[in-house]
Amino acid sequence: MDFYFGLLQIFGVHTLLGLSAYVVLLTGQVSMAQAGFYAIGAYAAGACTAMFGMHILPAVLIAGLLTAVVACVVGFPALRVKGLMLVVATLAFGEMVRLFFFNLTWQVERGGEMVGPNGAEGFRSIRYFPENGWEIWQVTGFIWIIVAVIMVALWWVDRTRAGAVLRAVGHDETAAQSIGLNLTAVKVGAMTAGGFIAGIGGGIYAHTVTHIEHGVFGVLLATFAIAYPILGGLGSIFGTLIAVLFIQGFLIEGLRFMGDWRSLLFGALIVLAMNLRPTGLLGEHAPRLSQLFGRKTNDHDKSLELKEAE
Amino acid sequence: MKLKSFLAAGLVSVSALAMSTAAMAEDKTVRIVGFGASSGVVGIFGQNSSAAMSAAFEKINAEGGVTLADGSKAQIVTEYYDDRCNAEEGISVLRRIATTDALIAIGPTCSNVAEPLFGILQAKVDDSGDTGLQFPVFTDVAIKGGLAGISEWVFRNTPSEAKMYDDLFAWIRATHPDLKTIYGGVEEDFAHSRFTWYEVMKKAAEQHGFEVVGEAQWLLSDTNFSNQARGMRREEPDIVAISAHPFTTCGMLREMARQKIQPKVLVGLTSSSSLETLSGCAAEAQGLTIPTSFAPVNDDARSAAEAVVAKGGQMDLHSASAWENAMILRDVINAAGIEGTPESLDADRRKIRDGLSTLTEAQGLLGVNQRLPDGEAVKPYVFVHAKDAGWEVLHDPGS
Repeated sequence: MDFYFGLLQIFGVHTLLGLSAYVVLLTGQVSMAQAGFYAIGAYAAGACTAMFGMHILPAVLIAGLLTAVVACVVGFPALRVKGLMLVVATLAFGEMVRLFFFNLTWQVERGGEMVGPNGAEGFRSIRYFPENGWEIWQVTGFIWIIVAVIMVALWWVDRTRAGAVLRAVGHDETAAQSIGLNLTAVKVGAMTAGGFIAGIGGGIYAHTVTHIEHGVFGVLLATFAIAYPILGGLGSIFGTLIAVLFIQGFLIEGLRFMGDWRSLLFGALIVLAMNLRPTGLLGEHAPRLSQLFGRKTNDHDKSLELKEAE
Repeated sequence: MKLKSFLAAGLVSVSALAMSTAAMAEDKTVRIVGFGASSGVVGIFGQNSSAAMSAAFEKINAEGGVTLADGSKAQIVTEYYDDRCNAEEGISVLRRIATTDALIAIGPTCSNVAEPLFGILQAKVDDSGDTGLQFPVFTDVAIKGGLAGISEWVFRNTPSEAKMYDDLFAWIRATHPDLKTIYGGVEEDFAHSRFTWYEVMKKAAEQHGFEVVGEAQWLLSDTNFSNQARGMRREEPDIVAISAHPFTTCGMLREMARQKIQPKVLVGLTSSSSLETLSGCAAEAQGLTIPTSFAPVNDDARSAAEAVVAKGGQMDLHSASAWENAMILRDVINAAGIEGTPESLDADRRKIRDGLSTLTEAQGLLGVNQRLPDGEAVKPYVFVHAKDAGWEVLHDPGS
C-alpha cells in the first residue's frame, strides 16, 4: 500500500507544479521560471523545518509567500518581454535560481549535526514527516488536502470576474487593454499566484524526498511544469490533473517495465496525445456537468457557441 | 469394487499430495530485487549491475540455493527495476519493492538517488518515533562517501575512495618524487564526481605535497571542453586528475590530446575504470591511472567476469560489488535462519538487516572486505592503468 500512497504524493506535488504554470498560462504567458519558484519553495520550507524546527504547515506557507514575493518581483521585468523572449527570460531566471542553490552553503547545528544547504551536495535530512511520526497515509492526506484547497480556489476564481479577466488577457491583450483592464496588474498577479502555488509545491516536495539538490530543479522540471497544463488543456484545472496522471502515472510508472523503450515511448505518446487532442486532453473549454451526463445544452449556451464560431 | 476404487483413489491422492509437497519444497523461493539506472546517460552502470546480480544468483541457485530455517533449500529469484537516476523515481521504485515479498534490495546506481532514498528509511532501528520505511538496502554502485550513516537499514559494499586515493597519491609521491603540481578537472553536476574531487582527490593530493594549480569544471551533458583544456595547458601541471564519468572523461581527454597537453601522470575517477572509457577513447586514455576494487587478477575474479559477460554485461568495480553483494547475502541468509514465508517477511527482512550489521568481514573478489559499524566497507583494491585498449594492473598495494 505504501507504494500507492507514495505515488499519490508524487501526483500531488506535480499537480501543484502544473497548476502554478496553469495560472500563468491563462494570461498567455509561457513561464519557464516555475522550476526556479519550486526550488525556492523547497529550500525555504526545508530550512524552516530542518534548520529551525518549525511545524510543516507554517513552513509550507512561508515557502509559498516567500516564493510569491520573488515571483512578483520577477513578474515586473518579465512584462517588458513576451512570447519567445519571455520564455528565454524566465528560463534564465530558473537557471539563476538553480545556480544560486548550487553555490549556497548555509548550515546550522542541530542535534550535533550540521543541517542545511551544502552547495552542490544538496540539502540533506529534511525528515520532518518520519521524525514526527507521520504515517505515509497521513502525509498523503496532508498533501491532497492542500492540493484540493488550491484546486477549489482556482476553480472558484475561474468562475468569477477575476478568471474572466485572466482569460481575456490571455486571448487578446490589446482587446483586454482597450476595455480598461490593467495588464500589469493581471500579469504580475498571475505570476505571483503561480509563484505561491509553486512555492507550496516545492516545500512539500522537499519533505517527501528528504534530500534536495540543485540538479532537480533544471530545465526538464520547468518543461514538465508547462507541459502539464498544455497537455491537459487550459479549459479547466482538471486538465492539469489529468495530464499529471497521464505522465506520472501511465508514462513514467505504468511503463517502467519497458526499460529503455519507455523513454522513447514517453515522447511518442505525448506527441500522439497532442496530435489527437491539439487543445489538450480536456480541451480549451471545461466540460460541464450537463455534457458529462449527456444532457442537452440549453439555448443560451448554444447561442454563445454560435457567437464564438462567428 | 467400490471399496477398491475408493482405496485406489485415496492412494493416488496421497501420492499426489506427497509429490506436490516435495515439489513445493524444491520450488521454495526467496526474492532479492535490484534497482538503479538502467536507461539514460548512466544506464550502462545499471545494466552491468543487473547482469552481475543475475549471474551471481544463477551460480548460487546452481549450487543449491540458500538454506532456510527449517533446513530446506530455496532458490533466489530476482528482477531489476529502472529508476533512470531520478530521486523521485528511485523512492517510488523502493516503495514498490517493499510492497512485494522481496527480502532486500540491491541498489541504487546514482548517489543523487541514494541520498534521498536513504532519507525515507527509518534512521535508527527500533526507533518507534520514526515512521521511516523499514526495509534493508544493500548498495552496490552509488559510491559517494558517507551515505550509509543516513539510516541503519542501509549497507554499502562500495570501496572507500578516501583510502584508495590517499594510497594512490602516496604511491605517486614515492614513485615520482620530481612531480610538484596537480590540476583538477571535475564533472561538477554529478554528486559522486564532485564529492570525489573536492573531498577526496584534492585533499589527498595536497596531503602528499602536491600543489593544486587550478581546477576546471564541466557538466555531465557538456560536449565542448576547449576552454577547460586551455586553462589546464596554461598551468602546465605535472599531474592531471579528472573526476568525471567515462562520457565526459573521454571528451576532456580528446580535447587534451588536441591541445597537446601531456601531463606526466594522469589520474581518473574510480567509475571510469570501465570498458566505456576504453571503447570511447582508448588512445587518449593511454596511461590513465585509476584505483579500482575490481580487476581480473585471480581465478574467482576471472570466472565471475566471464559469467557476467555471458549475461550481456561487463564486470567493473561497480558490477563486481553487485556480484559480491549477492554472495554476501547468500551467506547472511544461510546464517540468519529465515523462514521464507509470507507471514515471516518482516521478521526475515529484520534478520537480514541484523545479519549484515553484525558482519565484520566478507569475502570479496579481490580478497576480504572489511565491514564497518556504520554500514560502509573497506575493500581491497589495485591501481590499474589504460594500456593498449585494456586495463592493466599497475600496482597492488596489498601485495
